[in-house]
Amino acid sequence: MLKNYIKTAWRNLWKGRVFNLLNLVGLAVAIACCTLIFLTVFYEFTYDRFHTKLDNIYQIYTVSNRAEGAEVTSSVPEPLTPALKAEYPAVKYMTRSADAGALIKYGNKELDENLHFVDEDFLKMFTFPLIEGNKNNVLSGLNNVVITQATAKALFGEEPALNKTVLLNINNVQQPFIVSGILEDISRHSSIEFDLLVRFEHYPNYAANINAWENRTHIAMIEFNNGYDPASFTSQLTPFVKKHFAPSIEILKKDGAKPNEKGDIFWLDIAPFSNNHFATNLGGVEGNPVNKTYPVSLIVIGCFILIIACINFINLSVARGFTRSREVGVRKTLGASKGQLLIQFWIETIMVCLASMVVGLLLCMALINQFKAIFKSRISLSMLLDPVTLFGIIILFLLVTAIAGFYPALMMVRYKTVAVLKGNTASTKPGKLRNTLLVVQFSLSTLLIICTIITWQQINYLQNKPLGYNKTEVLSIPVSGGLIGEKALKLMRNELKNHAEVASVTGAYMNMGRGNDGSSRSSILGFNFGDKEIRTHIQRVDYDYLKTLDIKLLEGREFNPDFAGDSTAVIINETMARQLGTKNVLGSFVPMYDSVAKVQVVGIVKDYNFRSLHEDIAPLTLTMDKHYEINYIFVKVKPGNLVASYDAIKKSWNRQYPNTEFEGSWINENTERQYLNERRLSGIFVSGAVIAIVISCIGLLAISIMIVLQRTKEIGIRKVLGSSVGGIVLLLSMDFVKLVLLASVIAFPIAWWLMNNWLQSFAYRITIQWWVFALATLLAILLAFITISFQSVKAALANPVKSLRSE
Amino acid sequence: MLSLKQISKYYSSGGAKTYVLNRVDLDVDQGEFVSIMGPSGSGKSTLLNIIGMLDQPSEGYQYFLNEPVHQLKDKQRSALYKQNIGFVFQAYHLIDELTVYENIETPLLYQDVKSAERKALVADILDRFNIVGKKDLFPEQLSGGQQQLVGIARALISKPKLILADEPTGNLNSKQGEEIMELFKKLNKEDGVTVIQVTHSEKNAQYGSRIINLLDGKIDSSIIL
Ligand SMILES: Nc1ncnc2c1ncn2[C@@H]1O[C@H](COP(=O)(O)OP(=O)(O)O)[C@@H](O)[C@H]1O
Ligand SMILES: [Mg+2]
Repeated sequence: MLKNYIKTAWRNLWKGRVFNLLNLVGLAVAIACCTLIFLTVFYEFTYDRFHTKLDNIYQIYTVSNRAEGAEVTSSVPEPLTPALKAEYPAVKYMTRSADAGALIKYGNKELDENLHFVDEDFLKMFTFPLIEGNKNNVLSGLNNVVITQATAKALFGEEPALNKTVLLNINNVQQPFIVSGILEDISRHSSIEFDLLVRFEHYPNYAANINAWENRTHIAMIEFNNGYDPASFTSQLTPFVKKHFAPSIEILKKDGAKPNEKGDIFWLDIAPFSNNHFATNLGGVEGNPVNKTYPVSLIVIGCFILIIACINFINLSVARGFTRSREVGVRKTLGASKGQLLIQFWIETIMVCLASMVVGLLLCMALINQFKAIFKSRISLSMLLDPVTLFGIIILFLLVTAIAGFYPALMMVRYKTVAVLKGNTASTKPGKLRNTLLVVQFSLSTLLIICTIITWQQINYLQNKPLGYNKTEVLSIPVSGGLIGEKALKLMRNELKNHAEVASVTGAYMNMGRGNDGSSRSSILGFNFGDKEIRTHIQRVDYDYLKTLDIKLLEGREFNPDFAGDSTAVIINETMARQLGTKNVLGSFVPMYDSVAKVQVVGIVKDYNFRSLHEDIAPLTLTMDKHYEINYIFVKVKPGNLVASYDAIKKSWNRQYPNTEFEGSWINENTERQYLNERRLSGIFVSGAVIAIVISCIGLLAISIMIVLQRTKEIGIRKVLGSSVGGIVLLLSMDFVKLVLLASVIAFPIAWWLMNNWLQSFAYRITIQWWVFALATLLAILLAFITISFQSVKAALANPVKSLRSE
Repeated sequence: MLSLKQISKYYSSGGAKTYVLNRVDLDVDQGEFVSIMGPSGSGKSTLLNIIGMLDQPSEGYQYFLNEPVHQLKDKQRSALYKQNIGFVFQAYHLIDELTVYENIETPLLYQDVKSAERKALVADILDRFNIVGKKDLFPEQLSGGQQQLVGIARALISKPKLILADEPTGNLNSKQGEEIMELFKKLNKEDGVTVIQVTHSEKNAQYGSRIINLLDGKIDSSIIL
C-alpha cells in the first residue's frame, strides 16, 4: 500500500511540477534561512555551556543607589575576594579576574598574548582541561604560568613546554615564570578567553590595593557549595557590606544617594555566570556580551519566515488540490476511506517537505559563509549533528508537515463526491482561507519592510548628525601594550612636528567612539557645590585638545603651556555650566575635589556628543589632572590625502614602537562602531524582509497561475464581449491588490509600535514619518502586481476562441 | 435487492424548494437489468447516485440488501457500497496518473486485499476483457471505448452485486456502445450481476429487462420487457 502511495504521489507531484517546484523552492529558501538563523540563536544561547559547574558559578557586582538612579558595576576591590571566602562558608571557590596584554618570551621568540590574572580557584571552578600539569597545584607557585596548547606550540614548537622558564613582560616589568601547565585550547564558545594564566598577585598595583576597599579594579566570580541555594546570599551580605564598605557608603551619601525601599544605599549582588553572554547591563563581564534583543529578534524573524513559508505551502497545496478534486471523488467511489485519502495526500506533502529539506540544507551550505560574515555568526554546519539540534530539526519538520500538509489534505478529502464528479467545484473554492493567509503573509512582509526603512533612516541619521567636533580628519591612536600614555604622547608630538600633513596632536583619557582596542572608559565625579550635588564626566586632555578636535570654544581659552596654573584649571561644557548655574561661571573656582584646592574654570565649550547618540549630552569637565592617564593620542591631519597621512603616521609610530601594534583609526570609524548592534539589527531586518517578500511572491505567483486557470472561460467571454487587455489584467489583479492593501493597514500599528519602542533607546532619533508606511505599502503592492501580471497578462493576451473551446 | 420508498430530493434556493426527485418508489430485484430513461434534467443521475449512496435523499426510506440505508452512518454506508456496488461513468473517470493495471487494482487496495490475490484478480480480469497488452498504458493513451472497458473492469474487480452505470456509452460511437451493452448483458446473464444504467438511447435500453421512464422527478412509466 505504502509503495502504491509513494508511486502515485510521485506521479502526481511530477504532473503538477510547476506548482510543486515553486512550493519546493519557497520552502527550501525558508528552511535554509531558518537553519542559519536558528543555529545562530542556538549558538548564542549555548555559550559557556561546557563548564560542568556552570549553574553553581556567579559573578558578584555592586549597586549604588545614586540620586539619578541605580548604578551597576561589576568592578570590585581587591580585598573583597579573600574576605568573602573567609567569612562565608557557602563560598566554595572564588576567583578574581582581570586581563591585559603581555609579551611572552622564550629564547629569541616573542609573542604578544592575552593574559588573565586569576586566583588559584579559577581552574577548579571553570572547565578548562589540562593536558599537562596538575589541576590542584598548577597555580600554587607565585611565578607559575599556565599556557594554552596553541601558545605552547607557537612558542616551543615540538619541544616539551612543561617546566620551562619564560619571560613575561607585564606592564613594562619583565619577570621569569615557570610553565606549570598546558591547557586544551579554549572553545570559541567561551566568554572567558585567554592565552596565559598567572596569579592575581601580578596584577598591576596589587600590593598598593591589597586593603583598598574603595578601589575597584577587577571582576570576581564565586562558586557556591553544591546544593546551596544562593537566593538569600545577597541579604546575608548586608553585614559584610556595612563592615567593609562604610567609607564608600559615606561618599555616596554625600553625593546625594538615597536609600532604596529596603534602606540600602549600596549593596552587593550576584548574577548567574550562565547568563554571562547576555549580561550587557552588569558593567563589565568576561568576553563580549551581546544584547539579548538580537538573538530574540532573530528568533522572531525566523518564525516569520517559517510562518510565511507554511502559509505558502498551505495555499499552494490547497490550490493544487483543487485541480485534483475529481481524483478524490473517483477514489471515494472506489471505496477509499477518508483516512486513506488523508494518508495519500500527506505522503505527497512529506515528499515535498523532504525534498525541500535536502535542497534547503544544500542552500544553507552554499550560503553559510556569507551569512557568517554578515551576521558575525560563528556557527558551523556540524552543529546540525548535535543531538539537540537534530531533535529540534525533526520536531520542526514534523510540525511543518503537519500544519502545512494536514490542512490541505483535509480540505481535499472533504470534497463532495457527486459535485466533483460532475466537475462542479465552485462550492469548494478555498477563497476565504486563502485570502486570510495571504493577508497574514503580506502583513509580515510589509512589517519587515517598514522596520527596514526606519532602522536604515535612524542609522543614517546617527551617521550624519554633526557631533560638534571633527570626526573625519582626526586619527585616534590607542596607547596600549603596557606603554605609558604621557610618554607616548610626548614622543609622537615630537615625531609628528615635522610632518607637513599633521595639523595638531593631543591626548586624552577617553576615546571618541569605540576604537580598535575595543575598550570604553568613562569617569564620573560627584561633588557638593553650594547646596547642590553636581556630577560630571571627567575627560583628561592635553594641550591642543580643542584645536585638534575642532571643538568650539564659547568663552575663555584653551589650556596653554604659558599659564602655569593650568594643571588645576578646567574647561567645562555648556551643560556643566548650566548645572553650576551661577553667573560668571567663567573664571570662578569650583570645589571639584572636596579635599584639594578649588579648580578654576578657564573656558566653556559648546556642547558636543562625547558619548554615543544613545545618550544625551551630559555635563563634562576637561582637565589636565595627571591622576588620569593618557590612553589615546589624537592626531588631526590636513584635508587632502587621508590614506597617505594614515600611512605616514603609522610609519612614525612603528619607528617609535616596533613591538607595539599600531591600532589607530579615524574617529568616524570609531563612532560608526558604536552602532554595530543597530547595523546588525538592520541587516537582520533587510534580509528578513527580502526573504519574506520573495517567498510571499512565489506563493502569489502560484496562486495567480491557479486563478487564471480557473477563470480562463470567464476571461475568454469577457474578451469576446470586447474587454481590453488592460481591463482584464486589472480585473485579475485588483482582488490581490486589495488584499495587500489590507495587509499593510494591519501591519502599520504593529510596525509603528515596534519601531517607536526601538527608537526610545536613542536620545537622538528620527520621528517616524507617514510616507514610510506609504512607501512600504507601495512597494508591496508593486511587487504583488508585477508577480500577478506575469500570469494575468498572458491570460489576457490568449486567444479567447481557444479558451472557450477547451471548456 | 434494493428498495426506495417515498424518496425525495430537493434543493432550496432562496427559500423555494426545487424538487429533483419527488416521492419516488422503486424496487429492484437481484439479477435485473434496469434502464432508466428520461429527458435531460429529469433527475436520472440523482436517482442513480442515491441508489449508489454517493448522494443522500432529502426525505424517504431506502433499503439495500435489507439494510436501512437512511439510518446508517457515513462509514457504514461507504463500507456497504465499497463491497457491493461498482460504478461506471459517462466520463469514464479513470485516474490519469495510474496505469490501466493500477486503475483496476485500486478498489482492491482500498479493500485491503493481499498482494498475491490482487495480482491474480487483476490478471484474470485483464485477460477476460482482452486488455492484457494495454495494462501498462495510461488512460490518455487509450481510445474512449477502451477507457470505458477499463472503467467497467475496475467496477467489476471487487465482484460487486450491483453495477450502476450513468450514460456509459454517452461518449462512445455506436459500435463501441454496442460492445459495452453486450458486455453488460453478458455479465447480467452469466454472472448474475444486477445492472442499473441510465441511457438516452432507445436501442441501448432494449438490452435491459426493464425500462423506467423518469419525468420531472417522478417515475412516469415502468415497462418490463
Ligand atoms: N447541487 C444542486 N443544486 C441545485 N440543483 C441541482 C443540483 N444538482 C442537480 N441539480 C438539478 O437537479 C436536476 C436533475 O439533475 P440530474 O439528476 O443530473 O438530471 P439528469 O441526470 O436526468 O440530466 C437538474 O435540473 C439540476 O439542475
Ligand atoms: Mg445525468
